[in-house]
Amino acid sequence: MAAVTSTVIELRGVTRVFDGLPAVSQVVLDVAAGETLWLCGSNGSGKSTLLRVIATALSPTFGTGRVLGLDLRSERDEIRSRLELLGHQSRFYGDLTALENLRFVARLYGLGARRALPALERAGLDEVAGVRTASFSHGMRQRLALARCLMRDPELVLLDEPYAGLDVDARVLVDDLLTDVRTRGRTLVIASHEPPPDGSVSRRVLLEAGRIVTREPVPG
Amino acid sequence: MTPTAVWAVAQKDLRVELRSRYALGSVLPFAATMLLAFGFALGPNRVLLQQTAPGLLWLAGLFAAVDLFHRSYRSEADTGALDGLLLAPVHKGAIYLGKTIAATAQVLVLVSATAVMVALLFGLPLLRSPLLLLLTMTLGAIGLSSLGSLFGLLTVLGRRQAALPILVLPLVSPVVIGAIRATATLAQGSTDGVTGWLGVLVAFDAAFLATGYLVYAYLIED
Repeated sequence: MAAVTSTVIELRGVTRVFDGLPAVSQVVLDVAAGETLWLCGSNGSGKSTLLRVIATALSPTFGTGRVLGLDLRSERDEIRSRLELLGHQSRFYGDLTALENLRFVARLYGLGARRALPALERAGLDEVAGVRTASFSHGMRQRLALARCLMRDPELVLLDEPYAGLDVDARVLVDDLLTDVRTRGRTLVIASHEPPPDGSVSRRVLLEAGRIVTREPVPG
Repeated sequence: MTPTAVWAVAQKDLRVELRSRYALGSVLPFAATMLLAFGFALGPNRVLLQQTAPGLLWLAGLFAAVDLFHRSYRSEADTGALDGLLLAPVHKGAIYLGKTIAATAQVLVLVSATAVMVALLFGLPLLRSPLLLLLTMTLGAIGLSSLGSLFGLLTVLGRRQAALPILVLPLVSPVVIGAIRATATLAQGSTDGVTGWLGVLVAFDAAFLATGYLVYAYLIED
């Protein structure tokens, strides 16, 4: 049974070291259920590493943490089944169509393959459902990643630079989809060096050289 | 282990291969070139060609398969799809088995096509015991694929493509030797000792598969 918790992310002294150098250092962070957190900082400040630690793609070198009430080290698969990480790379297979890619994800997560097409429709990609993703633009791949997120409907969504390289239309679509996720009470962590749209985030956390230096509420 | 995840990964890999046709378009011509080169190097001595043909068949298959394994993981890593497999909430052994099944099917096609070339170029009579030959090729393909699917991952994670043959070739030797000896015996129209070599193949296949299933999670997880 899924653990019931009001604090979705609890990190205590989390440090991640690469080749002897800390990418994130002594991070203490709490994120409440339903909150939208903006994780900001310049390139190399440790935003992506921190997101990947929360997503269990990386293990913390030191420190402890719980995500969705589950231990970051020993309950990784349980955490993975309940969150979605939208990173720099789309994680899709170029030789498969958009629909085939989503159906593959659905099968891996034990979801019905029927959920794939409605998710594509919501992301505005139903007309290219049968097209190989190798021919997709960056914006289309980003929308397909959001379709994957909508299909899975996870409790926690982690977005790494969701606006990078998108044109105006694609940014509007990303905003709409994020609003959709947020209104369903999901928790969002957006790592971005540029500010999300006004009123979309409740708190801002600034990272510098892997350390949290500022935490402040963002007026709605 | 979730059978759904195993088949999902296997079908995905096979579908990607059918679309990209890498094995047929790149790896098979490599095997053909290798056979031709050996053929010219050995000269027109038909007896010598027939004696060495089973070895050439499996060596060509082995080198081509190593290229196939690397390519399979390279395509996963380049698009970040490997992250998708890592973050899937399934036993990572299921991913290993899925990739091994798909690789086995591809290697089997590769070795079968190479066998046809060997039969045509070197006059090796391969159809004297077709079922036993098919069994030999299947067991050999499983052996190559079970190791290749494991070490292919290592080379992508470590960004060391050159390490793949160094890791795979020594370990896979018993499989290659067993497959060569069984193929050579069958080509002579005999079945003496074939059961023993097939037993060697089964034993190593089982050992490689069990090891891969158990250690894959430790390799792919951070």
